[in-house]
Amino acid sequence: MSSISNALSFIPFQSVNHHVIPPSLLLRAGNAANIEVLWFRKCRLSWSSQKACVFRVKAVGDSINSTGSEQVEDGAPVDFAAKASDSDRRVGALRVMIISLPSFVALVKRNAGSKYAMGIYIASTFVVIVARLILSRCKIQNKHGSVAELVRRGQLRSDRRGISNPLKYEDPFNNPQVKIEKNKSKVEMCGKVYRLAPVTLTQEEQLIHQRRRSRAYQWKRPTFFLKEGDPVPPGVDPDTVRWIPDNHPFASTATELDESLAQSNVFQKDGVPFRVRAEHEALQKKLENIQTSKTEMGIKQNNVPERERSAEPSTGPYDKVEPNPSPDHGNHNLDSSGNR
Amino acid sequence: MASLLSSNTNVSSSFVRFSPSSHSQLLPSSLRETLPLPSSVRRRRGPFASRAVLQWNRKPQLAGETPRVVVITSGKGGVGKTTTTANIGLSLARLGFSVVAIDADVGLRNLDLLLGLENRVNYTAVEVLNGDCRLDQALVRDRRWPSLELLCISKPRSKLPLSFGSKAIIWIVDALRSRDAAPGPPDFVLIDCPAGIDAGFITAIAPANEAVLVTTPDITALRDADRVTGLLECDGIKDIKMIVNRIRTDLIRGEDMMSVLDVQEMLGLPLIGVIPEDSEVIKSTNRGHPLVLNQPPALAGLAFEQAAWRLVEQDSMTAVMLEEEPKKRGFFSFFGG
Ligand SMILES: Nc1ncnc2c1ncn2[C@@H]1O[C@H](COP(=O)(O)OP(=O)(O)OP(=O)(O)O)[C@@H](O)[C@H]1O
Ligand SMILES: [Mg+2]
Repeated sequence: MSSISNALSFIPFQSVNHHVIPPSLLLRAGNAANIEVLWFRKCRLSWSSQKACVFRVKAVGDSINSTGSEQVEDGAPVDFAAKASDSDRRVGALRVMIISLPSFVALVKRNAGSKYAMGIYIASTFVVIVARLILSRCKIQNKHGSVAELVRRGQLRSDRRGISNPLKYEDPFNNPQVKIEKNKSKVEMCGKVYRLAPVTLTQEEQLIHQRRRSRAYQWKRPTFFLKEGDPVPPGVDPDTVRWIPDNHPFASTATELDESLAQSNVFQKDGVPFRVRAEHEALQKKLENIQTSKTEMGIKQNNVPERERSAEPSTGPYDKVEPNPSPDHGNHNLDSSGNR
Repeated sequence: MASLLSSNTNVSSSFVRFSPSSHSQLLPSSLRETLPLPSSVRRRRGPFASRAVLQWNRKPQLAGETPRVVVITSGKGGVGKTTTTANIGLSLARLGFSVVAIDADVGLRNLDLLLGLENRVNYTAVEVLNGDCRLDQALVRDRRWPSLELLCISKPRSKLPLSFGSKAIIWIVDALRSRDAAPGPPDFVLIDCPAGIDAGFITAIAPANEAVLVTTPDITALRDADRVTGLLECDGIKDIKMIVNRIRTDLIRGEDMMSVLDVQEMLGLPLIGVIPEDSEVIKSTNRGHPLVLNQPPALAGLAFEQAAWRLVEQDSMTAVMLEEEPKKRGFFSFFGG
């Protein structure tokens, strides 16, 4: 930063290098001197070319902001002190100009018209300012602290609030958010105005594109998916086969499910799903087997002592499962575990 | 934003495909209100419809056969397909239509995040195929707008059975079409397509009858968009409309960005929406709260709402917004008015 300010402040002083004062003289001036620097540079506006001076004033301003009193060591403000006496008369000229300014304003006023007109201007400005203040205050009062604020902050979901009233549009093409101009040249959406251009596509053009595509892309949707390397089954047109690489999500390990079964699974409208029923039946069969083997055992062991036979009802768990469960029962269990 | 103009206010657009309900497009909106609706439009609504419609005084006319299966695709990645699916899906739900949004991005799903439903996805289509659950159990219902349901194809690490190809998603859409439980068949099935044109794309477009092509106004996205449009047309999906996303009017004015009309000239597709670049999009992604729910509405949210409206009516834009006019401060703006 200081290097920039050095570079900048260097330029304006090149022309006055012949006045050199020891730096010590300036050090006591401190920041006050810096302000004077700025004021003094402005005086030079009168004799320098306009553009260059703007740059110079800016440059000095920068150096004040960024480097403060550090600038004193540059040797540049030194030049200023020397220059001060030199341009006293220019300061005088500026003061004269400032003093003469009020009379100029009065002249303008006199030309503008009567004092009444001025009064009306001032009064109307005042009224406008007051009206604006009142309006903005009303707006702030409306916004602050209402539940809408909670929705805005994401604490509440507007759509899930019981008390929120649903938005009522006439239709999506004509509602408070969407307005189309009569001649269809403009549309206003969400407060922004967009220019509209008519769609020029005709039915013929659509057909031309369709014909172009049918020439460019000749394709038949494959209806057979085979894993790469599998033989093509007899009676299948190789053109309708899609070869699926091994790592594809479709390339499942061989399914034991046959096609008609899968199809009937999809079309099943009620009752227990196939696999659940199959598993249930398998379990039931197993239990029945156990049961029959048990009773056979019981018959065989018919001659066991009385006290052992009395303990038999405690093998009850099988009894509870055994009565064949109604489809409704299984269905109910599934419903509760389904996606609903 | 640009979106603005829709022919539905007085003149019927030249792009409107004639559909059972399109005769009403020629009537002023006030008249249409009182007319008996064509049978395709007069449909039984779910129990939630009355709540969802509250926001609007007027409803768009549903054109075409329901359910309308729309794939939202782009070719290039990251241009805003998922954002578009979430916002259009929710807009449609708020208009009172029942919508199923399918996230067909198998490896990298994120529609659930954008809708704020990530904690409620227990089952996906893979579990439905395996028979672990029924289809209706895999549909996640949005509590804010219950007529919107989300279906994810798979969990991040589970894999879709390869051998079914794209048949699985066709079955799912057919099952939704024939649904007779509570909400009935949906009015719209929106499919969020993954980027690229490989197996994921092939699967996502398989059940669709129409497509919304999302693109940004830069040359890389446009080339991919043209390619994808060509593939869709080869597959028989001729009803393709486009949304131009991330428009910056300040750049268009300085000729640093292609304008929407330039984009249209290159692709030759009718427009249903022009979405401005808007920081609110990112904020809404972070919150899991689609932009169209914002109050006060955001610029991009309004544009998505308009796009959804046009999608319903099978309408397209007749004028696009080009650049921002410098704001004229009127005399009264001095008063804060
Ligand atoms: N109009 C917009 N203004 C600002 N940001 C946007 C806009 N649209 C999308 N984005 C941002 O772009 C990013 C990608 O969006 P998004 O996930 O919707 O793209 P995608 O096409 O689904 O990507 P992928 O191909 O990975 O599925 C997101 O972070 C989103 O916030
Ligand atoms: Mg995505």
